[in-house]
Amino acid sequence: MNKYLQVFKISFQQEFAYPLSFVMWRVRNVLQIFVVFFLWDTVFSFRESVLFGYDRDRILTYVFGLIFIKAFVLSARAQDVAGEIARGEIINYLLKPVNYFKYWLTRDISSKTLNLIFAVGEFILLYLILKPPFYFQTNPVQITLFLISIGLAILTYFLLLFIVNAIPFWAPEMGWGGHFLVTVILVEFLSGSLFPLDILPVNIQNVLSFTPFPYIIFFPLQVYLGKVTGILLFKGIVVAIFWIIVLWFFMNWVWSKGFKAYQAYGR
Amino acid sequence: MSKNSFLMVLNQKSVLLIFLIGKVLRFLFFIAFLFFLVSGAENLAGYNSTQSIFFFLSFMIIDTTSQFFFREVYRFRTYVVTGDFDLILAKPMSALFRVLMGGADVIDLITLPPLYAATSYVGNLLSPTPFQVFIYLLLLLTGLLITTAFHIIVISFGIITLEVDHSIMIYRDITAMGRFPIDIYKEPLKGILTYFIPVAIMMTFPAKAFMGLVNFQGLLSAIVIGGVFMFVALRFWNFALKKYTSASS
Repeated sequence: MNKYLQVFKISFQQEFAYPLSFVMWRVRNVLQIFVVFFLWDTVFSFRESVLFGYDRDRILTYVFGLIFIKAFVLSARAQDVAGEIARGEIINYLLKPVNYFKYWLTRDISSKTLNLIFAVGEFILLYLILKPPFYFQTNPVQITLFLISIGLAILTYFLLLFIVNAIPFWAPEMGWGGHFLVTVILVEFLSGSLFPLDILPVNIQNVLSFTPFPYIIFFPLQVYLGKVTGILLFKGIVVAIFWIIVLWFFMNWVWSKGFKAYQAYGR
Repeated sequence: MSKNSFLMVLNQKSVLLIFLIGKVLRFLFFIAFLFFLVSGAENLAGYNSTQSIFFFLSFMIIDTTSQFFFREVYRFRTYVVTGDFDLILAKPMSALFRVLMGGADVIDLITLPPLYAATSYVGNLLSPTPFQVFIYLLLLLTGLLITTAFHIIVISFGIITLEVDHSIMIYRDITAMGRFPIDIYKEPLKGILTYFIPVAIMMTFPAKAFMGLVNFQGLLSAIVIGGVFMFVALRFWNFALKKYTSASS
C-alpha cells in the first residue's frame, strides 16, 4: 500500500514538472465549457418551458457539472500506457514488484485529484463570470448515488482506456489511432460530454443505454439532476456494474493475449 | 514534401483507415447533433436547421482545409526541441513555408471533396444569388488567411516557449466556437471573437454572407482585419526567429 502512496505523491509532483502544459490543458477545458454553456444558454434564452426534458436551471447545471465530471472521470494518465507498450518501456515495470494496473490506477487518481482541485477554482471563476441559474440537489440518497455513479464511471473509463491501450501489443503504430477513435470520438459524443443524450430520438437513446458510454458522463449527471430515480436509477447502476465486469474480463483476456504476442520492440 | 508526407501515411493503411473512420464519425455525429438540437428547439439564434448545418459546414471547410495544409505545425515542437530546426533554417527555402506546409495531411485530402460536395448541396438549399456565392468564396479565402496567421503565431510562440502542442489545441478550441453562428455568444465575448480573435470573421462571416446578412462595411472590415492579422503574425515570426537560440543542436 505504501509503495502506491509513494507513486501517488511522485505522480502528483510530476504533474507540476511542466506547469505551462498543465495550465493550458485546463484552459482548454474552460474554453470547451464556454462553447457548450453559450450554446444552451441561447437555446433556452427565449424559452420558459421545458425542452428535451430540461428547464434552464437544469441544463446549465448539466453544463457546469461537466467541469467536475470531466475533471474527475476523463482526466487520466493511463492514456500514456499505449506509448509505453509501443516503445517497449512496459518491460521495465514487469520486472518491478508493482502491479501494473494498480500503478496506473494510482497515477490516474493522482491526476484526477489535481484536476479536481483546479476544477473547483474554474467552477468558481466561471460561476462569477457567467452567473448561471443553478439546480442544487438536496436529496441525500440521490447525492450518494451520484457519488457511486461517478466511482463506476471512473472504473468504466479506466477499463476502456486499458483495453484501447492494448492495441500496440499487435500494432505499435496504432496506439494513438485507437485512442482517437475511442476516447476522442466515441466517448466525446456518446458519453454526453458534448450534449445531453436526451436530445437524441428515443430509439437511439435506448440503444445507447445498453453501451458503456452513457455511464461515463451522462448517467451521473442525470442522477445529480434527479432526472433518473427509482427503478430506472437501479437499472442504470446495474447496467454500469455489468459493463465494469464485462470490461474487466475482456481487458484481462486482451492483455494476456497481448503479452503473448508482444515482442518489446525498441528494447 | 507533400508527396513524401502522403507516402508515409499511405504506407500505414490501418492507421489511415482508423483516422478516416474517426473523422467521418465525428462529422456525422456533429451533423446529427445539430439537426436534432435545432429541430427540437425550432431555431438556433434565429437560424433554422439547414442554416445551422451550413454554418457548421463552412467552419469545417476552413478547419479541414487548414489542417490539410498545415499539419506540419503539429510536428514543429520536435524540430525545435531536437535542434532539427537548424537544418531547416540552413536550407535554401523559406523556413516559414517549410514548417507550415512541409507535411500536408492525406487523410484531410480524402475528406475534403465530400465536404465540399456536402456544403454545395446544403448551400443550394438556401437559394443564394451568384453575388452572395462570390462574397462567400471571398470571405472563405479571408478565413484561410486568418487561420494561416494563427498557425504562424503558434509556431512563433513555440520557438520562444517550446510549447506548441497545447497552443495549437487551444487555437482549435477557440476556433471551435465558430462551429455555431457567432450570434449565440454574448458581449463582450462576441466582440472579442469578432475583432480580437477573429473567429467570427473566419467562420461565421462567410456563411452569413452566403445568406445575404453581411453588408459592404462588414465585408471590408473582414478583409482589413484579415490583412492586419497576417501582418502581425509575420512580424511576430520575425521576432521569434531572432529569439531562437538553437540550444538543442
